[in-house]
Amino acid sequence: MTVNKSQVTSVFWICEDVHYSLLKHQYYNRMNYSKYLSKVAARRKPSGISDMRKYLVNPSPSLVWLGSGMPNPTQFPFREVTVGLNDGEVLHISQDMLSSGLQYGPTPGYAPLVTQLKAMVERHHSPPRWSESNLLVTVGAQDGVSKAFEMLLDPGDYVVISDPCYSDALCMLASLAPQYLAIENDDEGMVPANLRAALKLAANSEEKRMPKALYLVPNASNPTGTTMGEVRRREIYAIAQEYDLIILEDDPYYFLTYEEEQNIPPSFLSLDIDGRVLRFDSFSKIVSAGLRVAFVTGPAPLLAVMELHLQSSVICGPMFSQVLVSELLREWGEEGFSRHTAKLRIFYKNQRDAMLLAASTHLTGLCEWTVPKGGIFLWLKVVGVKDTGPMIIERGITKNVILIPGKEFVVDSSKPNQFMRAAFSCVTPEQMMKGMENLASLIREEIALQNNQA
Amino acid sequence: MDYTGYMNEVAKRREPLVIRELFGLQHGAPKDVVFLTAGAPNPETFPIVSGSLKLRDGTTLELTPDKMVDCLQYGPTPGYPPLIEQLKTITETIHTPPRWKDREVLVTTGSQSGLLMALEMMLTPGQTVLVEQPCYTGVLSVVSPYNPKYLPVESDGEGLVPSSLRAALASCSPHNKPKFLYTVPTGSNPSGAVTSEDRRREVYQICRDNDLLILEDDPYFFLHYDGKTPPTSYLSLDEDGRVLRFDSVSKVVSAGLRVGWVTGPRQLVHKMNLHKGSSVISSASMSQVVVSELLRVWGLEGLARHTAQVRQFYQNKRDSMLQAADKYLTGVCEWTVPAGGMFLWLKVLGVRDTWDMVMRRGLEGKVMLVPGHAFMTDPIRPCPYLRASFSATSTPIMHQGMKNLAELIQREKELQRMKPQQG
Repeated sequence: MTVNKSQVTSVFWICEDVHYSLLKHQYYNRMNYSKYLSKVAARRKPSGISDMRKYLVNPSPSLVWLGSGMPNPTQFPFREVTVGLNDGEVLHISQDMLSSGLQYGPTPGYAPLVTQLKAMVERHHSPPRWSESNLLVTVGAQDGVSKAFEMLLDPGDYVVISDPCYSDALCMLASLAPQYLAIENDDEGMVPANLRAALKLAANSEEKRMPKALYLVPNASNPTGTTMGEVRRREIYAIAQEYDLIILEDDPYYFLTYEEEQNIPPSFLSLDIDGRVLRFDSFSKIVSAGLRVAFVTGPAPLLAVMELHLQSSVICGPMFSQVLVSELLREWGEEGFSRHTAKLRIFYKNQRDAMLLAASTHLTGLCEWTVPKGGIFLWLKVVGVKDTGPMIIERGITKNVILIPGKEFVVDSSKPNQFMRAAFSCVTPEQMMKGMENLASLIREEIALQNNQA
Repeated sequence: MDYTGYMNEVAKRREPLVIRELFGLQHGAPKDVVFLTAGAPNPETFPIVSGSLKLRDGTTLELTPDKMVDCLQYGPTPGYPPLIEQLKTITETIHTPPRWKDREVLVTTGSQSGLLMALEMMLTPGQTVLVEQPCYTGVLSVVSPYNPKYLPVESDGEGLVPSSLRAALASCSPHNKPKFLYTVPTGSNPSGAVTSEDRRREVYQICRDNDLLILEDDPYFFLHYDGKTPPTSYLSLDEDGRVLRFDSVSKVVSAGLRVGWVTGPRQLVHKMNLHKGSSVISSASMSQVVVSELLRVWGLEGLARHTAQVRQFYQNKRDSMLQAADKYLTGVCEWTVPAGGMFLWLKVLGVRDTWDMVMRRGLEGKVMLVPGHAFMTDPIRPCPYLRASFSATSTPIMHQGMKNLAELIQREKELQRMKPQQG
């Protein structure tokens, strides 16, 4: 299904409403989602028991329900829960909520939380196809992404990724044995010209296996820290339309960009007129990583398949965590949440600035880097070292500094790689200074070692 | 045992992430090593700083600020270390597994996620899959998308039938041998049977003779009703290292916390750990800390007291359900007394298949149960069974339910008489 720009401009003179409805009609071409599914995903079916859930909606009070496999909540040993917040408030978790937290819940998530998250998505992204979309709570965003990969990819299927790419995504993909179109980045992320060229090549290859999925982290990407601007996002979306790709938008640092909230570039979800975006949001960096609460938003048919897998994988996510997050969001309201994320931005920006200071103090002349516009990572290029892998893995500990070698973020980790990822979220400015000092020493010794070996 | 032969290609391709190994270095590393590794949020930004859980017995679990950081931060993939230690102690104490040193324990997000990881580690398209029948639907939903060739093994009032297992194995093609046997040996869902110790020993031997792993799914381990001592687990018989055992706190502490654990041979559990690392990364830390604190406060004695109490509770429920069934369903249904678990497995006499009776007419009949067909591996064969849960219903409601069911069945028999026989 392609976007025909001339058709858009030819109706432009008509007033907004009619234009929009014509546009909708023109492109209201329900995407055929079944063609994207892997063989296993295509065979997932609801269990007979889940069919019965519809009877639980407004049940008659005289209906005797003997269908559930739930344990009796009177046997759970917990009676009351309170949590103390950092602003001094105390949250009392009511009996009802505690019951929900301690019992099996619906696979898509604790209902009040799902409602809150839907409101959040609508508020932040106004997805063009919102009425045809759905939302699922996942056990962390990574679980959502891995289920999406498994839904879409059969061995040998192409997947489009960035080069470099989030290491855990590479790890998930490695087990699925896809073919990679790894698109080189610049300081805004994936380069559209490179993407186009790679897709053209794949289209012309003898295999005739087209990529189905494109995975990217558009804000404060892991590991490079780059943020993709609006123009670039629209270009990438247009290419995805041309080649009929599903876009996996992994956005855990959405609230950790250092711009003001209103200046964050529009998400792919907000641009998604076709219904080809699966968006992964996470509370891990902004509320808690350990609660394992995140969510995926996307076309209802694709989410229905993911829900089946999620159900057979965990039945439901940790309800206790979901109740806590829901209560926290309710306590905060929109304003409180904005206040909280504003504080986070300041905190991590200060961390970034301290890291940059440490880097420029000790690594000038040894490394190159661009200033991250968000997130928690500094991506360093060690100019004089051929391969940072052995330097870090074998010799880093002797110099009291450990970071992640760049080769962990590429498909072929056997190739020499000059990059390194330094995380600045959890270290103090003093530790950063020491760390960069140690790193400088490590690099100098490595260069000397290299010269001796030459 | 070399376990590589049981793994599918996806599992074989799973490799440890260097990153995770580097994170691991941080524990016990000298203080002056600067770690710039983890993509973790800073605990100073966590909005929850403390917590308090009051228990029904009056004690309080305090989540201090330090503990709260543990609750809210990423944890190690295998599980919250104090909890792993406690679960190992519990498992060792209860089962004294042979070859204990060759085994690992992995915390899972409920035992269901452990089952999924084990199954997805081994399943290949079209593979022969050996399950006891009737079979827990949660496993059928994992396995069915792989287009398996199901080999169901019969069970009766005493659990899995060894001769049926032998017959099933004899019937399978030498080119498509099953890799494992899946069984719920205590209070099977849905049959309620507890496989006797004699039979377990026989089944173990058959599995040994046929090179099978045993997936021992035991969420109702504490819910056994005949005799005070718990049944002998497959894990406790496991001389060879062929058992993957799945435990859960869901029925005795909380289902919503999603805490379970798998115990098994190191090589297999490591692979599952890699899958876990690239999906959930770690199970919910807060849930694990809460369970750990509970176990710490209780000790093994407290745990035994609590589980004994839970067992008595469900046994009473079972007895009430049986009374109701005796009163209204005698002559209408057949059943064996559930020796464990939460379910009564009813065979409806005179009705060929219960699916439509429940799904189309159950609502009107004011009683909903699960039609037996949901637990069968054959999608076509008619099934006259029903699963009734007695875990969360009061005695009067049980009686009402059984009465409604008797009436529903009566109407169904009349309906059946009016319809021509379907081939």
